[in-house]
Amino acid sequence: MTREPGRQVGSSLGLLIGPSFFVLAAWLAFGPPVTTVPELSAAHVSAQQITTAPRRTIIGDPPTIMINDFERMCSDCHQLFPLGPDPIPGRRQHEHVKLEHGINDQCRNCHDTKNMNRLVLYSGESISYSEVTHLCQKCHGPTYHDWEAGIHGRVNGYWDPAKGEPRKLKCIQCHNPHRPRVPAMDPLAPLPGPHTLRMGKRPDHEPKPEADPLRRSLERSRDRRQK
Amino acid sequence: MTDSTPDHDRVTSRRSFLRGSLGAAGGLAAFAAAISPLKDLDTEDLTVEKFLQKHYKEMTPEDKQRVLERIAAEVEKRYEVRPELRDLPPLDGVEFGYALHLGRCIGCRRCVHGCVAENNQSRKPEIQYIRVLEMPQGSIDVDRSNHYYHPAKVPARGHYYMPVQCHQCANPPCVKVCPVEATWQEPDGVTVIDYDWCIGCRYCAAACPYFARRFNYMQPEVPAKDINPNMNYLSNRPRTKGVMEKCHFCLQRTRAGRMPRCLEVCPVGARNFGNLLDPNSQVSQILRKKQVFVLKQDAGTLPRFFYYFDQD
Repeated sequence: MTREPGRQVGSSLGLLIGPSFFVLAAWLAFGPPVTTVPELSAAHVSAQQITTAPRRTIIGDPPTIMINDFERMCSDCHQLFPLGPDPIPGRRQHEHVKLEHGINDQCRNCHDTKNMNRLVLYSGESISYSEVTHLCQKCHGPTYHDWEAGIHGRVNGYWDPAKGEPRKLKCIQCHNPHRPRVPAMDPLAPLPGPHTLRMGKRPDHEPKPEADPLRRSLERSRDRRQK
Repeated sequence: MTDSTPDHDRVTSRRSFLRGSLGAAGGLAAFAAAISPLKDLDTEDLTVEKFLQKHYKEMTPEDKQRVLERIAAEVEKRYEVRPELRDLPPLDGVEFGYALHLGRCIGCRRCVHGCVAENNQSRKPEIQYIRVLEMPQGSIDVDRSNHYYHPAKVPARGHYYMPVQCHQCANPPCVKVCPVEATWQEPDGVTVIDYDWCIGCRYCAAACPYFARRFNYMQPEVPAKDINPNMNYLSNRPRTKGVMEKCHFCLQRTRAGRMPRCLEVCPVGARNFGNLLDPNSQVSQILRKKQVFVLKQDAGTLPRFFYYFDQD
């Protein structure tokens, strides 16, 4: 009995396929490559960094400061030492105050020289510290209207007045009145970059500019182009 | 061919027997290998109750109560924290909207990490709902943006920052592509996910033009001390491996009348939230008064997340 050549090829193919299933199955069951994900520590973020508290604390109305463990009001000193001409050359008090507020370069632009526990409008009207928004309003009208409507500045608490009180902040709870521009901040850590061949090993929250995978990739391609 | 040894065909030759049994054994082994991931399945995790759980929309209030109790017990077992797990219903006459002032955002990522802390996202691997794009001033070309920026101080000179999160679209492409209806739009405009119904196909992530959806490729890890016990079924209850998640406007807070967490931590007050149907709400006033735009308007998704500038 002779076999057809086609059948022979078929049977030898079958002999090949059978064991290859075995090999594949054994490999899948016992030795599949373990996909390792690079161990990354989560970005450390302290509760302080994601606080919902206002940026600044109001020091009270009238404001008080501690001098030698005694609580003092502004007028306690300024009754004896009235405000001199501004800007004071060689100022020895309030050195930390750096005035960078537009054209306001004098203390008396906002502080009442007659009663240092109070503020003063440019009309000469004296107002208390708790009414500070009326002072800011005199120059920053559009911003004040936005603030009144709740669309300037952060409003914490409740969006639904029926459920609770929205907590609106005053101007000086965010802005330093002497330097109102919001200072630059430290950014919190970004998401670790993807681990791809093009972008290389992903960095582990290094706060360096080199850690930015997109930037490194761009720089590398730029270097290649220049070569 | 009838005469040619009919019993020769019937009698199995040694060669064909070997070939057949080899093939069968190979096939069996391949099947065993294919189902081998099942051996890693946590049998404690797979209860009949969980297996037979209905779709969120088909549950009766009693069903929901049972499910909430089951999930609360699971969370307590895993994290040793008794959660205050609720299923807050959408409020009548409320459609949530968000507005973000691009001129104010300084890119400090406080919102990103506030969100992670609030919504029990996985810390390892890290999952973040909000992506802050750093963009060169003078364009809104997202292709030139970078979300891995990390300078010593922000804002960096010549750049502005654009946080992107789920836009809660009125015409959401992610909802349309879900094959099992595990994600849908609620009456208050928030697109939510039933994490127990999601099969993990990730179609929705591919459909989203804002890259807002995040997939749990691994079992999410959250340190027990960082768990936020204020939980809601459709928002921040702990997720598991293989399900999709995304920003839901902090439903556990906003449906109770509170502001979302990303807004409350913003140090520059760039974020505004409110009811779009209330003409006096923050967002409604912004829509009236400011220069507002939406991202990728041409995608036709009708977002409820607006970016704005001051007019002057």
